[in-house]
Amino acid sequence: MRNIRNFSIIAHIDHGKSTLADRIIHSCGGLADREMEAQVLDSMDLERERGITIKAQTAALLYKAKDGQEYQLNLIDTPGHVDFSYEVSRSLSACEGALLVVDASQGVEAQTVANCYTAVELGVEVFPVLNKIDLPSAEPERVMQEIEDIVGIPADHAVHCSAKSGLGVIDVLEAVIQYIPPPAGDESAPLKALIIDSWFDNYVGVVMLVRVVDGVVKLKDRIRLMATGVEYLAETVGVFTPKSLARPELRAGQVGFITAGIKDLKHAKVGDTITLANHPASAALPGFKEIQPQVFAGLYPVESHEYDSLRDALTKLQLNDAALRFEPETSQALGFGFRCGFLGLLHMDVVQERLEREYDQSLITTAPSVEYQVIMKDGTTLVVENPSRLPDLSKIEEIREPIITATILVPEEFLGNVMTLCNLKRGAQVDMKYLGRQVMIKYDIPLNEVVLDFFDRLKSTSRGYASLDYEFKEFRADDLIKLDVLVNGEKVDALALIVHRATSQYRGRELVSKMRELIPRQMFDVAVQAAIGAHIIARETVKALRKNVLAKCYGGDISRKKKLLEKQKEGKKRMKQVGNVEIPQEAFLAILQVGDK
Amino acid sequence: MSEILFNPPISTPPRAPLSVYAHIPWCVRKCPYCDFNSHAQREEIPEARYLDALTRDLELALPEVWGREVSSIFIGGGTPSLFTPEGIDRLLTTLRTLLRVSPLAEITLEANPGTFEAARFRGYREAGVNRLSLGIQSFNPAHLKALGRIHDEREARAAAEAAIGLFESVNLDLMYALPGQDLEQARADLETAIRLGPAHLSAYHLTLEPNTPFAARPPALPDDDLAADMQLQAEELLGAAGYEHYETSAFAKPGARCRHNLNYWTFGDYLGLGAGAHGKLTFHDRIERQARLKHPKAYMDAVLANPPGHIAETRALGRGDRVFEFMMNALRLNAGFDPRLFESRTGLSIAAAEAGLAEAQRRGLLERELRNARPSATGRRFLNELLQVFL
Repeated sequence: MRNIRNFSIIAHIDHGKSTLADRIIHSCGGLADREMEAQVLDSMDLERERGITIKAQTAALLYKAKDGQEYQLNLIDTPGHVDFSYEVSRSLSACEGALLVVDASQGVEAQTVANCYTAVELGVEVFPVLNKIDLPSAEPERVMQEIEDIVGIPADHAVHCSAKSGLGVIDVLEAVIQYIPPPAGDESAPLKALIIDSWFDNYVGVVMLVRVVDGVVKLKDRIRLMATGVEYLAETVGVFTPKSLARPELRAGQVGFITAGIKDLKHAKVGDTITLANHPASAALPGFKEIQPQVFAGLYPVESHEYDSLRDALTKLQLNDAALRFEPETSQALGFGFRCGFLGLLHMDVVQERLEREYDQSLITTAPSVEYQVIMKDGTTLVVENPSRLPDLSKIEEIREPIITATILVPEEFLGNVMTLCNLKRGAQVDMKYLGRQVMIKYDIPLNEVVLDFFDRLKSTSRGYASLDYEFKEFRADDLIKLDVLVNGEKVDALALIVHRATSQYRGRELVSKMRELIPRQMFDVAVQAAIGAHIIARETVKALRKNVLAKCYGGDISRKKKLLEKQKEGKKRMKQVGNVEIPQEAFLAILQVGDK
Repeated sequence: MSEILFNPPISTPPRAPLSVYAHIPWCVRKCPYCDFNSHAQREEIPEARYLDALTRDLELALPEVWGREVSSIFIGGGTPSLFTPEGIDRLLTTLRTLLRVSPLAEITLEANPGTFEAARFRGYREAGVNRLSLGIQSFNPAHLKALGRIHDEREARAAAEAAIGLFESVNLDLMYALPGQDLEQARADLETAIRLGPAHLSAYHLTLEPNTPFAARPPALPDDDLAADMQLQAEELLGAAGYEHYETSAFAKPGARCRHNLNYWTFGDYLGLGAGAHGKLTFHDRIERQARLKHPKAYMDAVLANPPGHIAETRALGRGDRVFEFMMNALRLNAGFDPRLFESRTGLSIAAAEAGLAEAQRRGLLERELRNARPSATGRRFLNELLQVFL
């Protein structure tokens, strides 16, 4: 056990985490050259395309160190995006150490800080690595100072490397051995293995990624999952290199996988403890916090007969995405669909894209919303995730909205812009610290404002330099009202929004004006109105198209004209028929394109 | 008592009338909006060899149209008037020799309205052409230039006048919604055309077709609303001048509708000869579309080879194709169609189209009576919406 090191890499998106991971795997011979697909740990197509890591992945590697001994290194990859921070804490709880990788030309970012705090809370040793050291714009001195100022860990011994060129990668591995403690655990104690992650595989059933804390688990052992008490026979035990390799056993301190022919993912809950049926541990390990979705949106099939296939797709997706929630929902305008809960906007985006790409669904998505607590005059409390379900205002005592605390790191020159943006979003400053050239500000902001377009605007107002991390703070009452949208006089429930009274007029006007641009002209005039209660506050008209005719059509080559008509018709398929009006997907998300005054 | 001298004719299912389309695939130069199968003439056009090819093409196709009477012939392009009157005479003589061409057949030739062509008009008439279709497009010099036309407005008028004096029927093609065109200019083009007095006028909305220079670098065109006003203006002016609006883009004096195009629009049969020509033929067991090789040289080589290989594609029309293709043509006619015509041309019961017809009627795109279905005023303006119902 002395020669085992379990570690993660904490880094901001683009700071080179996946590249460094690939280098490390390569240096330890985990994969031959021809097997090295760029960024091997990011196995989902989406992850590779977007350059983000969504799910935890591991690699068990052998490294012959300069002291002549051979070490077993277990690299556990962690996601970098705020939406997936719960995955980070899961990965970290399987480790004794973490490499904090910082881009030497950029400096520390907010999510990195948050992840470092998580690591420190979990008692994980954090060791700084300056990446991209060979860039002309690299400023190692400044960045080291930032690490000390902002993260609050010593950085004088930070390793300098370039994951891209391979420079300093061996130094990183040596540092892992020198600074990260070996796992502590008792091989002779009853088995306690923590489920870090689990997912469904079509061939072997549920795969459990585990960290063995105490004891040993062997092939053919009868295992018990402590939360549910169900028992299974361990069919395979092994490690990822990142290829999956079967091993006869996993011992205390090791990270690897177990499969046991489990068909139901609920039996292998992430955070549960695995023990042996004939020699059980007395108490389970502390698990993980249940993750709660924060962002909600309606997902509807464009064609109503595709409802069942959408439900199947969501069910399958959920097998590997425990954070995804969904329940059936009916909309007058959109028919049968699902209200889905997501961790954040990126998560929502990823789910939507996977549904479209991997499951071939055509979707209409409503604008993202948050969960409101509605206190009724009769004293009852309702939870409202769908703005159109907000009860009549006359029956409501108050509406409470979720407030988050946003931690933003921003270079001083953009501080003014960022503060202006936070104020526009009804934020209240709670803290501000100057840390070298960066400023760390904390704001309490309604989550509803954040889910609309906050992240994009933060990036654009700071030319990409500001970074954001946030955590839920509380529900707080405010003067909130429902904004309805009417299309040709009919209320469209899927377009309803909950907004603050102070910005409702402006938002209503901007929203209908945006929708006028997004709804294509049709055979008749389309009126788009915004209303608060019975009061219309804005109106725009999409003027009727005057004609839509193929000018010339001789018998000759009919196929091209037919194609043209098919193309026109295909274009309409991405629209939802609401009454007589065809509304494109973008129009349902028009609010995301409405700025603030 | 009687001795049978001959067998009575075997009754055959009613056949659609037959037309012949012959394609001449060359132009002096290619106009930037045109997506037809036409090729800029770089050297001398191989007229004689092409006529050999058309003759062989027809000979090979004879078994498919054996015994059927031809009610119209259309020589289109490209620019057929690049062929000499002698060449056209040879083509028509071949057609008359090998096919049963009705003595009343409408025989149309497309011509460019240049001085050079006008000198040949008499020759074409003597060859048997009785209808001339002139690609005028506009009488406005700036717009002719923008369209890349090689004739000017004086030539256009002179050619139209010459043709109208010579042929039984003349069509002038006009285009509207041209680059930079306003309503007044569109009106001026129509008024000039009306003063010339052809029996038939076509007014086409200029559309950007894929794979044309205009599609690649779109010129500034009038917006949709202005273009719609131009169409309305054309309908009003031409109506007042005695031209009946009988198809989306076609206007005719009484008795002067284009019989050849009407055959397309009523889902009749046509034999397509020449490079890139498309044909549609009904057999006792199927309806078939054919396309010939597009490139002139490849076509000529292939049709003159042994065995010939000039047919690029043959496709039998399924049930859905027949419904859609019938509607795509017949609903262009303002008078619509008789359900019995649908049945005889497609071989299907009108019930096969009922769902679409009902849906179109519900949406106000179609008007129906027992013996007639026709596009409503809205259906005419939104013909694409109407046709998509049947896709």
